[in-house]
Amino acid sequence: MISRLGLPAESSRRGFLLSTLGVTGVTAALARAQKSASAPFVILENSMGILVADSTRCVGCRRCELACTEFNDGRSQPAIARIKVARNYNFGPRGQGAGLGRSPGEFGNFRVLQDTCLQCPHPVPCSVACPNDAIVADLETKARRVDTGKCKGCRLCLEACPWEMMNFDEVSGKATKCFLCDGKPECVEACPALALRFVPWRDLTHDTPVRRAALAALRDPKSAGCPACH
Amino acid sequence: MGEFGGWTGKTLRVDLSNGRVQIEDTIARYMSVLGGTGVGYRVLWDEVPARTRAFDPQNKIILGVGPLTGTGAPSGGRTSITTIFPTVYPDELVATGHMGGAWGAELKYAGWDNVIIEGRSQKPVYLAIVDGKVEIRDASHLWGNGIYHATSSICQEMGADTQVAAIGQAGENLVRLSVVMTGFSHSAGGVGGVFGSKRLKAIAVKGSGSVRIAADKKEWKQLIRYILSIMGANNQHVVPSTPQPWAEFYAPGSRWTARKGLFWGAARPAVETGECLPEDLNRMGYRTAKATYDLGPNAEKYTVRMGGCVSCPIRCHSHLDVPSVEEKYGFSRYAASTCVGWGGRGFFKSFPDGARGQSSIEAAVVGAHLAGDLGIWTNYSQLQRDFKYAYDQGLIKANLSDSEYRSIPWERFEKGDPGFLKEIYTRIAYKQGEFGAALGEGSGRLAERWKFPPEYYKEPGTSWWKMGHPKHHSSEEAGQTGVLINMMYNRDCQCHSHSNFLSSGLPVRILKELAARLWGAGAVDEDNNITPVNLDKARFAAWSVLRKELHDSLTLCNWMYPLAASPLKSRGYEGDNSVEARLYSAVTGDRKDAAQLDLVAERIFAMHRALTMRDMANMDMRGRHDTAPDWVFDYPPDKKPFTPGHYKMEREDIERAKDLFYQVLGWDRKTGAPARASLEKLGLKDVADRLAALNLLPAS
Repeated sequence: MISRLGLPAESSRRGFLLSTLGVTGVTAALARAQKSASAPFVILENSMGILVADSTRCVGCRRCELACTEFNDGRSQPAIARIKVARNYNFGPRGQGAGLGRSPGEFGNFRVLQDTCLQCPHPVPCSVACPNDAIVADLETKARRVDTGKCKGCRLCLEACPWEMMNFDEVSGKATKCFLCDGKPECVEACPALALRFVPWRDLTHDTPVRRAALAALRDPKSAGCPACH
Repeated sequence: MGEFGGWTGKTLRVDLSNGRVQIEDTIARYMSVLGGTGVGYRVLWDEVPARTRAFDPQNKIILGVGPLTGTGAPSGGRTSITTIFPTVYPDELVATGHMGGAWGAELKYAGWDNVIIEGRSQKPVYLAIVDGKVEIRDASHLWGNGIYHATSSICQEMGADTQVAAIGQAGENLVRLSVVMTGFSHSAGGVGGVFGSKRLKAIAVKGSGSVRIAADKKEWKQLIRYILSIMGANNQHVVPSTPQPWAEFYAPGSRWTARKGLFWGAARPAVETGECLPEDLNRMGYRTAKATYDLGPNAEKYTVRMGGCVSCPIRCHSHLDVPSVEEKYGFSRYAASTCVGWGGRGFFKSFPDGARGQSSIEAAVVGAHLAGDLGIWTNYSQLQRDFKYAYDQGLIKANLSDSEYRSIPWERFEKGDPGFLKEIYTRIAYKQGEFGAALGEGSGRLAERWKFPPEYYKEPGTSWWKMGHPKHHSSEEAGQTGVLINMMYNRDCQCHSHSNFLSSGLPVRILKELAARLWGAGAVDEDNNITPVNLDKARFAAWSVLRKELHDSLTLCNWMYPLAASPLKSRGYEGDNSVEARLYSAVTGDRKDAAQLDLVAERIFAMHRALTMRDMANMDMRGRHDTAPDWVFDYPPDKKPFTPGHYKMEREDIERAKDLFYQVLGWDRKTGAPARASLEKLGLKDVADRLAALNLLPAS
């Protein structure tokens, strides 16, 4: 249903909710969640926007990674960039096994793949994995962001993301992820080749190959609320 | 995190003789020379005995990365590899090979500013650096392999995102013309054999750490946006190559080649380079569509994209997909390069389908793979020129045995068959026969060994400059300024400060206006009309050299910086002479203005001079080192200097140029050696004392 609907550019907050779950589902889920204090509400409103990357245009300069960390964290650190090019740069996502010229990447067919956060719809793997409810929808953009006040640094979210888009900042001791720079993504502004765009959210989870099998199981008490909808 | 941003604070020192790994304090030992090549000169001066030869175990390799690399400072993806250089002739002297890519940035993220390699390993090894963990690993399984496979194998062992700088068979076999290469197409010329002499196959790096920016985030972003706004295309060409609606000027030689109707034709789907307005910072990556610039219009359909170094918005490495290369010659169809010559083409006299036909593109790709995998350096295409010269003069035939000569399929060379390149490159990499052994020695030793006639050193067509290396943007581009710059170095000068400005595409009238603010209007001559030397030209030359040293130490790209001009009509096309200082100050927190930073560059350059004098055991730089080939003064034979239409120089005038240049730097007029006062002004009393002890300090 999610991927079938798509999202109009002017979607209101209510519009996101409707398109995701349908009126009845949302109302019922909200009602049940409010009644049950022991089952935390795990449904996040969908993000308003999403980053999409065009790999035919990426020139591999990694200015996106640098802008992400320098303008948000005050230091250059691609390892915690919330957009990821470096790891695909040499041989693409599957490594060097295919041989020279046989994979994507600089040592392959030159296609550089940029990994971006999909701002997943429900269930949001990083968020539901968090034992501290520290990954929440931003009040304005609804991007999934880490509430650093709540994050205790357990790194379960890093295990949960099938696309390996979670990062751990050793300096702050907290997880960190793409929060769409409050609606004005630095990476998009920094790209010298128009290879990144910030567009209305749509569900790309089905179109994007996962990088690894993730820790998917929902544990109590969060799973307690699931039968309400499923 | 230390007191300063930019530097990680740690320099890695590895002795391959005994496996000892040491950590040094970068700030305490090397901050006064910034990083990069500055650290290289300092280490060679302090630690390597005079007259050490390139392949001696006592020689050291300093892979220097500066405080700006690893940050978003635009075009800061450089690494300087300084050592006693094997191709310098007849004495082996200090020089630097430079590479881009992402190796230097990765080293910083791993927590290291520089790597100093000492000694010689008993067996082949590679250095594996993962953050703070440093291992000398066995490389016997890699030895004998090309750079591509070595890189791939190391990535298998350390992770696909590892940055590897490796040598090929040429470096292993101590071929003087050999490279260290990283990231598929980024090579540092001349230093491969020094790695090989230490039995060091590669240095592989993975880093998860950071480089701190001292300035606040907002200030840093503003500075970056500002610098981007005054950058041009590759080589800081600031006007487009074709008439554009937005542009007041155009210049066919400009590398700002993007236009409507010009595509990255092998992208799927094809991507139009299109109109790239100077104000549009999101299209900077399209400005330089270089494959067609280098290889002709047929290269458009083979262009997958442009690429280059980490942090650089200007993409100067053409990435091609030429399917016929795989079908016909068995090499990968994918090849990348930034070199105008693309190596392989330059060996041939002609191609069956013309200079810019399919064969020439195939030769470019085949040559890029052979040179890139075997790890051969072409010495700014002097290898190709020497090969052709020797062939045309009958010197190959004269110096090879009959059987060796006949073993080379010359008919394929005559036909312009790109497959012939395998004969050349393979023989060089493995030092096969007289042919391979001699060509790989580099220009100086080759010319001596094969007894090139005196004319070789005197004709402009050979491009010979001095000491085994060719001219690099000399009199033909910058009159006396170019001559002075070319005189200063031991390898080809690798300086672009002057040529970027003069070739920016702006009309002379505007160049003169801009020059007047930096060095004096006399620094720039009218087109094709060189005038006698003046102080402005000497200032321009000194500025060019000092900025090059600064870039090689910070480490920034000297193909983009300095930004003496800009593409902005609203600024009167003025660039900004202070951008390096502003970047340095913002990143490190050590606030310096342009003049203060230029003084640091002067210190670094003085170290280069002192090292050169020490290892030549000679103070007479004016007579013995700062020389130009006869063609500079004798061609064209029928013209007089300082008349329009050519760039013939006059010997007395160049001696005056040296006077002025030495005067600008406070060097002794008679010898061209740095005087004690100038060294002490630069904080180099120790260098002055040592030179005095060696009788290499001028009396004044």
